[in-house]
Amino acid sequence: MPEHESRPPAVRLRGITKRFPGVVANDGVDFEAAAGEVHALLGENGAGKTTLSNVMTGLYRPDEGSIELDGRPVEFRSPRDALDAGVSMVHQHFRLVGAFTVAENVVLGDHRGEARTFRLHPRRIERRVAELGDQYSLAVDPRAKIWQLSLGEQQRVEILKALYRESRVLILDEPTAVLTPQEAETLFVTLRSMADDGRTIIFISHKLNEVKAVADRVTVLRGGRSVVTEPTADATPQSLAELMVGRELASTMRERVELTAEDETVLEVDDLWADGDRGETALRGVSLEVRAGEILAVAGVAGNGQRELAETITGLRPATRGRISVRGKRLAGGDPRRAIRAGIAHVPEDRLGTGVAPSLTNASNTALKAYRRHGPFLRRRLIRRRADELIHRFDVRGATHATPARQLSGGNLQKVVLGREFSAQPSVLVAASPTRGLDVAAIATVHGHLRDAAAGGMAILLISEDLDEILALANRIVVLYEGELAGEVDPHGATVNEIGLLMAGGSRA
Amino acid sequence: MSVRIERRLEQPRWLAVAVPTGSIVLALLLTGAVLLVTGHNPVHAYHRLFDAAFVGKDALTQTIVSATPLAFTGLAAAAAFRMNIFNIGAEGQLYFGAIFAAAAGLYLHSWPSALLIAAMIVAGAVGGAAWAAIPGVLRAFCRTNEIITSLMLNYVAALILNYLIFDSLSYWRDTSTPEAKVFPQGKMLSDAATWPAWGIVHSGPGLVIPLGFGVAVLVAVGLWALYSRTRFGFEVQVLGDSWRAARYAGIRTRRKILAVMCLSGAIAGIGGASQDGDFRHLLDPRGLQQAGYGYAGIVIAALARYNPFAVVLISLLLGGLQNAGYALQGADFPSGLVGVMEGLILFCALGCELLRRYRVRVVRRTGREPTVPATEPTA
Amino acid sequence: MNNGIVVVVAASGVLYGTPLLFAALGELLAERSGVLNLGVEGIMLIGAVMGFWTVQRVHGNSAVVLTAAIFVAAFAGAAIALIHAFLVVTLRANQIVSGLAVTIFAGAAGLSSYLGNDLNLADKPARHAFDNISPFGLQKLPVVGPILFGQPLLVYISWVWVILIALYLSRTRPGLNVRAVGESPAAADAMGINVAGYRYAHTIVGGAFAGVGGACFSLMITPQWVDGLTQGAGWIAIALVIFAFWRPELCLVGAYFFGAFSALPFTLQARGVTVAPELFQALPYVATVVVLVIVSMGWTKRGLGAPAALGTPYVREET
Repeated sequence: MPEHESRPPAVRLRGITKRFPGVVANDGVDFEAAAGEVHALLGENGAGKTTLSNVMTGLYRPDEGSIELDGRPVEFRSPRDALDAGVSMVHQHFRLVGAFTVAENVVLGDHRGEARTFRLHPRRIERRVAELGDQYSLAVDPRAKIWQLSLGEQQRVEILKALYRESRVLILDEPTAVLTPQEAETLFVTLRSMADDGRTIIFISHKLNEVKAVADRVTVLRGGRSVVTEPTADATPQSLAELMVGRELASTMRERVELTAEDETVLEVDDLWADGDRGETALRGVSLEVRAGEILAVAGVAGNGQRELAETITGLRPATRGRISVRGKRLAGGDPRRAIRAGIAHVPEDRLGTGVAPSLTNASNTALKAYRRHGPFLRRRLIRRRADELIHRFDVRGATHATPARQLSGGNLQKVVLGREFSAQPSVLVAASPTRGLDVAAIATVHGHLRDAAAGGMAILLISEDLDEILALANRIVVLYEGELAGEVDPHGATVNEIGLLMAGGSRA
Repeated sequence: MSVRIERRLEQPRWLAVAVPTGSIVLALLLTGAVLLVTGHNPVHAYHRLFDAAFVGKDALTQTIVSATPLAFTGLAAAAAFRMNIFNIGAEGQLYFGAIFAAAAGLYLHSWPSALLIAAMIVAGAVGGAAWAAIPGVLRAFCRTNEIITSLMLNYVAALILNYLIFDSLSYWRDTSTPEAKVFPQGKMLSDAATWPAWGIVHSGPGLVIPLGFGVAVLVAVGLWALYSRTRFGFEVQVLGDSWRAARYAGIRTRRKILAVMCLSGAIAGIGGASQDGDFRHLLDPRGLQQAGYGYAGIVIAALARYNPFAVVLISLLLGGLQNAGYALQGADFPSGLVGVMEGLILFCALGCELLRRYRVRVVRRTGREPTVPATEPTA
Repeated sequence: MNNGIVVVVAASGVLYGTPLLFAALGELLAERSGVLNLGVEGIMLIGAVMGFWTVQRVHGNSAVVLTAAIFVAAFAGAAIALIHAFLVVTLRANQIVSGLAVTIFAGAAGLSSYLGNDLNLADKPARHAFDNISPFGLQKLPVVGPILFGQPLLVYISWVWVILIALYLSRTRPGLNVRAVGESPAAADAMGINVAGYRYAHTIVGGAFAGVGGACFSLMITPQWVDGLTQGAGWIAIALVIFAFWRPELCLVGAYFFGAFSALPFTLQARGVTVAPELFQALPYVATVVVLVIVSMGWTKRGLGAPAALGTPYVREET
C-alpha cells in the first residue's frame, strides 16, 4: 500500500453532516483516502454516497464537519474552489456541454495561472487533449462534438477534464453503469495507472464485484453514516453486502416460472426500425416474441436502442418500419393510447416525469390512464377511492391519495407505477430499468411483483442494463447492440463474460 | 452564516392569501417611493386614485368597464398558461374578436337584438380562436415556439386592424360622409347590436354592470368547471405538469394544444366582441390598441395564479387602476403612473412567489456539536 | 432613378436598422447566457427618454453631451435589466412573465412616459443629435458609399460592436463560458463557472445595449421625445435574434433587412407611390414567424443555435 504513517491522507472528511428538507443525507460521515490508492465508496442507493461526493466537490456545503486535503483544512464554497484544490468528479449524469467539442469541454472553466489567457487557443488545447488521451489510453477525437459521442466516450472526456486540470483527487460516481464489462475493464486499467501516478481515485459503486476488482480499500456507507473502512483484500462480497444492507441477506433467488410448450405468444415484434431523438437510426430490424408467463430480458449498454425499443412498442415513438402485434392483432404504431388499449402496460425508465406527473397527487397519478373510462366528467370520489386501495394493496408507505408524487421515495413511487399498470390487467408489460436507483428492499419488492405478474400469465419484456437483475429474473435473454439484436442467451448457462461480449458487439465464440 | 433557499415540502394555505396581499402592499410602498423621489405627494396621489377608481360618481361603473376586457384577456391567459402553453397573443386575438364581432354586428343588423348579440359573441369567439389557431397549429404540428409566434401575430393583427380602418375602404370603414373620408373611423353598429347593461345601484355613485362583465363571470365559472371537473381538464392538468407523462398516459397532446389555444383565443375574442357591443359600438383600432389589454391580462393571470375566479377579482383591481389613470390624466397627475404601478405589483408578486414555493433560511454553520455555535468550522 | 430609390431605401434600412441592431445584440448576449428578456421594448424606451433628457439638460459641446447621453441611456437600460436579472436569476421567476412585467413597468404607459412627462421633455426638438458623417470621404464610393458611409456615428459604432461580440463569443474564454452557461448550466456549474454571475452580467449588459438602441431613436432617427416612440422595435429585436440564429453577424444583416421594411413605405410615399404601409410593417413579423417554422420543422434545435437552456432557471439539484 502506498500509505505512509507520517503522511496525512490525501483526503480526510470529519463528521460531515448534510441535511435536506425532510432527510439527513449524511450524518456525521468520517472518510479518508490516501494518495496513490483506488478507494471504493460502497453503499446502497440512498446511503449518501452521491451527497458525500457532492460535498467533496463543493457542489453542496456541509451543514457540519470539515474537509482536509493533505492535512490542510479546506473550505469549498463552490465547485470552483474544489477544482482549484485539485478535486474533480465524474458525475453519473455527465456534466458536458452537448453542443461543444471535446476540447472546448475540457478547457471549460479552467482559469489556472498560465492557462488563463483571455483568448482561446483551440489548436493548443486540442493538442494537449490528444496527448493526455494517448498517455492514459483514453482515445477520443478532440474535435468531435459531445453529442456525437457514445456514453463510454463521453465518460473518457470527463476523465480527460480531470487530467487536464491536473487533479489530485478524482471521484467517479457509478462509472460502469454506462459501460460493457469489457469497457469497464479498460476503465479500471486507466484508473489504476492514474493512481500509480500518485493520484487518489474515489470510486463510488454499489456493485460488489467491481469494488473487489479495482479498489485497494473500501468504505461502506449505510443510512448516511460510514460503517467501516477496510482493505478490499480482507473483504468478501458476502461480508460487504451484509455491511451495506445492515443485515444478513436472504437469497432473493426464486424459481423462475417454467413455461410449457402451449403458452401462446402474446407480444410479437417483427423487423422493427425506429429513429432516435437526433434523427439517427436507433433500431435496426429488431424481431422478438414474448410468450404469456415469460420474462424476456433485453440486455445491453445504455444507448444501444433500449429506450427507443421500449418507446416504440408502447407507442411513444413511431416505428419507421416493421410491425408490432399483441395476441396476433397488429398494433398501429406511434399512438400510446392504442398501445394501452391493446393491453400494453409500461413501466418507464424515467419514473418521475414520465411514469407520473410529479406535482400531481397520487389520486391523479393512479388515474393517469384510467380517467377516461367514465365519460367526459371526472369521477373524483371514485378516483380517490381507487388510489387509497392501490396505496394499501401495494404497501406504499407514508402516503395518501393527496400526496404529490414528487414527495415519494423511489421505491414507493415505483410501487404506485406498478400498481397502476397492473390494475389495468394488461397482457404485456414493458419494464425499462424498473429498479434503477432503488434500495435493496425495494428492488426485492419490485422483482417480486414482476415474478408474480409473470406467474399470472403476463408477458414481460424487461429492458435493463443491470446484468445481475437480468440473470435473476429472465427466462430468456437477448442482447441489443447498436439497435440490433446481437444474439440470444440462455440464462441458465450464460456467464457474464459471454453476455458482455455480445453487449460490446462481438459475436459469440 | 449563509442563506439557503429550500423547496417547501408543504405549502401552508395562509400563504396563498398572504403572498398576493403582501406583494400589493409592497408595490404600493415602492410606487410611493417613486412618487416621492419625483416630487409628488404619494398620499395625495393614492387618495385621488382610490377616489377615481372606486368612490367618485360613476367610478365603480367605469372601473367595471375597464375591468371587463382585462377579465377576458386574463382568463384567456389563464386558460393557456395552465397547460404551460404561453399564449402571449390575447392582444391580437382580442382584435380579431372585435373584427369578427363587428362584421357580424354590421352584416346581421336586421336580426332581433338578442340573436344579434349572441351572433356577435359567437363571431368574436370564432375570430379569436381562428387567430389563436395559427400559433396553435404551428406549435402542435411543427413544434414552433408559441411564445414568439403569438407575440409576433399581435403586431400583425394590429396592422390588419389599422389597415381595415385607416388604409383601405373595407366593409368596416365608415365612408358615408365626406368627414369620415378625411378622418377615417369604423361604421357605427345598429342599436340592436348594443349590448344591454343593468343598473344595480341608482343612488350615490351608481353602479351599472354591462353584459360583457356578466359574460366574463360566466366564462370564469365555465373555465373552472372545465378544468377541475372534466376529463379535458384532467388532461390539461397532466400536460401542464409533465409533457412526457401526458404522452405516456395516451393523451393526444397535439389536439389538446390546439384545443387549448383556440379556447384561449376564443375567450380573448369574446373580449373583443364585448368591446364592440358594450362600449365602442364600432371597430375602433386606436381605442383597442391603446390599453394593451392582452399584456395586462397576462399580468392578471399571473397574479391570480391562473385561478379563474381570482382573475375576475384582480381584473377589477387593475381595472380600477386603469380607469383612475385615464380619469386623472392631466397636468397635475403623473401620467404613466398606472404602468409603473402595474409593473411593480407584478415584480413584487413574482418575487414573493418564491416565498410560497421555497423557504429562505439563514443557516448558521456550526462544528460537530450543533448546540454550540463554533466560530471557525475547520478549527 | 431606379438605382436611386434602391440606394435611398438601403441607406434608410441601415439607419432604421441600427436601433434594432443594438437592441438585438443586447438580447443576444442575454439569451446566449440562457436568459430570455421580453422587456426589451420597455428598456429601449427608458434608454430613449434618459438619453434625450441628457441632451436637453446637460450643457457643453455637442460631442461631450452626446457621449454622456449614450452612457446615461446605457446605464438606465442596465438598471432596468437588473430588475429582470434579479427576478429570474436569483428569485427564479418565470422569464416570460417577468420580461412582460418589465415592458409594462417601463414601457409606453409606464415609467418612460412618467419620466418624459415629469421631466417635461415632450414636443421639444433635441438640442443635440447625431449627424451624418462620412469617414475618410468614403461616401464618394459608388452605391456602397451613400448606403453605408453617409450615416451617423452610432451606425459605425454598432459595426464595431458586432465584431467585438462575435469575437468575444467564439474566441475568448469568457465567451466560451457564457455559451456553456446558456447550453448547459449544470455542466458549467460543475466546472466552477459562476452561472448566476454570468447570467446577471449578460442580462445587464444586454439591457445597456437595448438602452442605447432606444437612444438611437430619440437622438438620431427622430431627435425628440414622444411617448412610445420606439413603436414596437423592441419586439422586432427579439424576433431578430431568432431570425439571426443567435449570431451577431447575422443580426446585422437581419437588422438592415427589417429596417428597410419599416423605412420603405415612407420612402415610397415621398416619391408619390402610395402603398398601405401596414403591408411592409407586417413583413418583419411574418418573416420571423416563417423562419421560426422552417427552422423548427427542418433542423434540430442544435442546428438552429438556440441556447439549450434558454428560458429555464438553474437550480443546483437538491435531493
